[in-house]
Amino acid sequence: MIEVKNVSYTYADGTPAVQDVSITFPEQGIFAVMGLSGSGKTTLLNCLARFLFPQEGKILLDGQDILEMEKTAFRQQVGVVFQKLNLFPHLNVLENMMLALERVQGKSKGTAQAEAMDILERLKIAELADNYPAQISGGQAQRAAIARGLALKPKFMLLDEPTSALDAATTSNFAQWLRELQAVTSFIIVTHDLPFAEQAAELGVFMEQGQVRERGRISEVLA
Amino acid sequence: MHHVRIMLTITLAVLAFAGIRPAAAEEEFVTALTGKFPPFSYYDSQGDLAGFDVDMSREIARRINKKSRIIATEWDGILAGLLAHKYDAIIGSMAVTPVRQQSVDFSTPYYHSGAQLFVHRDNPNKVYSISECGGLSIAVVLGETYQHFLEERFPAVKVVTLKSAAEIFAMLEQKRITGFVTDRLVGAWQIKEAGRSFVPVGEMLYKERIGIAVRKDTPGLLRQINTALAAMEDDGTMQRIHQRYFGLAKTDSSALGKMQPSVIAAKLLKGFAVSLGIAVASILLGFILALPCGLLLTFQRGSLKLVHFLVRGIVDFIRGTPVLIQLLFVWLGLGLSPFPAAILTLGICAMAYMAEVIRAGLMSVDPGQDLAARALGLSSLDRFRFVVWPQAFRIAIPPLMNCVVSLLKDTALVSIISIPELIREAQSIISVTFQPRLYYLIAGLLFFAVTFPLMKLSSRLEKNIQAKGFSHD
Repeated sequence: MIEVKNVSYTYADGTPAVQDVSITFPEQGIFAVMGLSGSGKTTLLNCLARFLFPQEGKILLDGQDILEMEKTAFRQQVGVVFQKLNLFPHLNVLENMMLALERVQGKSKGTAQAEAMDILERLKIAELADNYPAQISGGQAQRAAIARGLALKPKFMLLDEPTSALDAATTSNFAQWLRELQAVTSFIIVTHDLPFAEQAAELGVFMEQGQVRERGRISEVLA
Repeated sequence: MHHVRIMLTITLAVLAFAGIRPAAAEEEFVTALTGKFPPFSYYDSQGDLAGFDVDMSREIARRINKKSRIIATEWDGILAGLLAHKYDAIIGSMAVTPVRQQSVDFSTPYYHSGAQLFVHRDNPNKVYSISECGGLSIAVVLGETYQHFLEERFPAVKVVTLKSAAEIFAMLEQKRITGFVTDRLVGAWQIKEAGRSFVPVGEMLYKERIGIAVRKDTPGLLRQINTALAAMEDDGTMQRIHQRYFGLAKTDSSALGKMQPSVIAAKLLKGFAVSLGIAVASILLGFILALPCGLLLTFQRGSLKLVHFLVRGIVDFIRGTPVLIQLLFVWLGLGLSPFPAAILTLGICAMAYMAEVIRAGLMSVDPGQDLAARALGLSSLDRFRFVVWPQAFRIAIPPLMNCVVSLLKDTALVSIISIPELIREAQSIISVTFQPRLYYLIAGLLFFAVTFPLMKLSSRLEKNIQAKGFSHD
C-alpha cells in the first residue's frame, strides 16, 4: 500500500504543482490519477518515483517513508514506465530487461535471461525478445517497457501517460492486457485519457490545479 | 618595437628552456642539411644521403674523431633546430651573413659561390638581368639568403617562396615563374646533369661565402672544425671532393634519375610506414585522453566545474591554433626528440577534436535514458557504462572516423621536424628524379588507399546507427 499524506510540491520558480494531496493506493488493482495537462499529476508521479522530493507531507510504502528507504530497495519495489518509454536502443527487449536483473539484483546472466523470458511469456510478448526498440511498433514498445519494469518484480508500477502514442484500437487492447496483469503487480496510471482510464482502472482520482477534486470508483469520478 | 621585444623574450625563454636538454651523444658529430639540394645534398641510387655537403660532414667527423650522423630537415627550420641542440652543426651550404652571425658562429668558408638568376631557355619575358624583373615572379627557397636580398634590393620583383629547390625547378619547367635565384653551382649542376631547360642570365647578383654553422656556446667544436677544414685544404681533400661534384666530367655518382625503382619503392613505403605509425600512435593516445576530457566537457555545473573550464580552455586553444605551430613548439620549445614530439603533438591535437566529438555524443543521448536507468536502480557508474556510453559511442563513431582521417593527413606536417615521413621521402626522390607529378600522385594515392576504406566504413556505420534509431530528436 502506498499512502500519500498531505504532499505539496512547489517548483523552484515558485509554481505550486501539487498542493496538500492525500491519496491511498491499494495493494491490488489498477488506480488511475487523471487530470488535464498542468493539473499536477506528473509531478505527483515524480514524487512517487522519488525523482522529486516534496517540501511538505510524506509518502509511505507499506508504512515506511520512501525517502528513508534504501535507494535500490525502493527502486525494486516501485517501477516506472515513462511517457517516452526510454527503452535502451542499443539493447534488444530481452537485454533491456536483463540489465537491472544482472546489475542491480546481481543475478547471473543465465538466471536473468530465464527470468526475463518467463515474464515475456506471461505477458504474451515472448516473440519480441530478440527485437531492438527501433524494430517494434508503439504498442509493442509500450508492453516491452512494462515488461522491463516488471522484471524486478515490483509491488507497484507507475505508468506515465501510457496511451499517448497509441491509437484508439491499440489503446483498448492495451487496457484489456493491463487488466490481465493485475495479478502480477498493482498499477498506478497517470493519464489524461479518460476513456482509457475508464477501461483499465477501477479506482481513481481526478486532479485539478494541483489538488484532488474527485476520488472513488472511476465511474463515479467521471460521472 | 614593443612586439619585437615580446617576441624576443618568448624566443629566449623557449631557447633557454630547450637549453636544459642534453645535447646529442658525445661521440657523435650530428650535422644537418636538407637532403633536397643536389649536388650538395640528395639521395643517391641506393636511397642513401650523398652530395658535397654530405662528404664534407663525414670527412670532418673523421678528422675530429667522431661518428658522423646526418639529419635531413627542412631549410626554414634548420637554424632553430641548431639553437635547440637538435644537432651540433649545419653543413648544408649555408651562406655566412651578418644576420645569421648574430645567432650562430660560422667556420672559415669551405667554398665560395654566388647568387645567380636563372630563367627558362625560351625566356618568354625577355629578361637579361634581375633589374628587368620588376613585377615578374622570381622563386627562391623559403628562408634562403636570396629571399632577403631580393626583397631589400629589388622590391619590385615578385618573390615567390617555395619549400624546396625541386619545386622551383618544376615550376620553371612549366613556365609558371619567370625565373629563380639560387646558388650558381646548384643551377649549373641542374642544367648539366638533369638537362634542364634553364639558362643563367646576367652577372652574379653577389658572392657568398659558405660556412659551417655552430652554436655560439661551442667554440671548442668550431676550432676543431676550422683545423679540419684547413688540413683538408692543405692535403687536397677539399679539391677532390669539389672535383667529384663540380668537375667538368658528368657526375658518375649515379645520382640523377637513376635512383633504382626498388630503392624508390622502399623509400616511399618506409615513409608511408612512418606516417602510418605516427598516425596510429597519435590516434591511440588521442582517444585515450579524449574519453575523460569529453566526459569532463559535459560537466558544466557542480563540483567539477573548474576542471571543466580548464579542459575547455585547453581544447579550445588546441583547436584554435595551427598544428604546425604546436609541432614546432613541442619540438623546439620543449626540446623533445622528433618522434615523441610528433606523437605527443598530433596525439593531443587528436584529443582536442575527439573530446569534442565525444562530448557531442554524450550530449545527444536523451536524458530520459539516464532517468530510465535510474528508475531501474542502476548505480551512476552502471548507468554510464551500460546505458549512456554505448549510445554516445555509437553516435560518435562517424565523426571519430573523420578525426582519424584528418589526423592521418596531418602526419604530412611532421616532415618540418625532420621526420622522414611520406611527403619528405617523396620530395627527396623528386629532387633527383625530377618527376614531381608522378611521385606526389603516388604519395596521394597511398594516403587515399587508407583513408578511402575508412571513409566508406564510416558512412556504413552511420547508416547502421540510423537504422537502429540512435539519433535522437
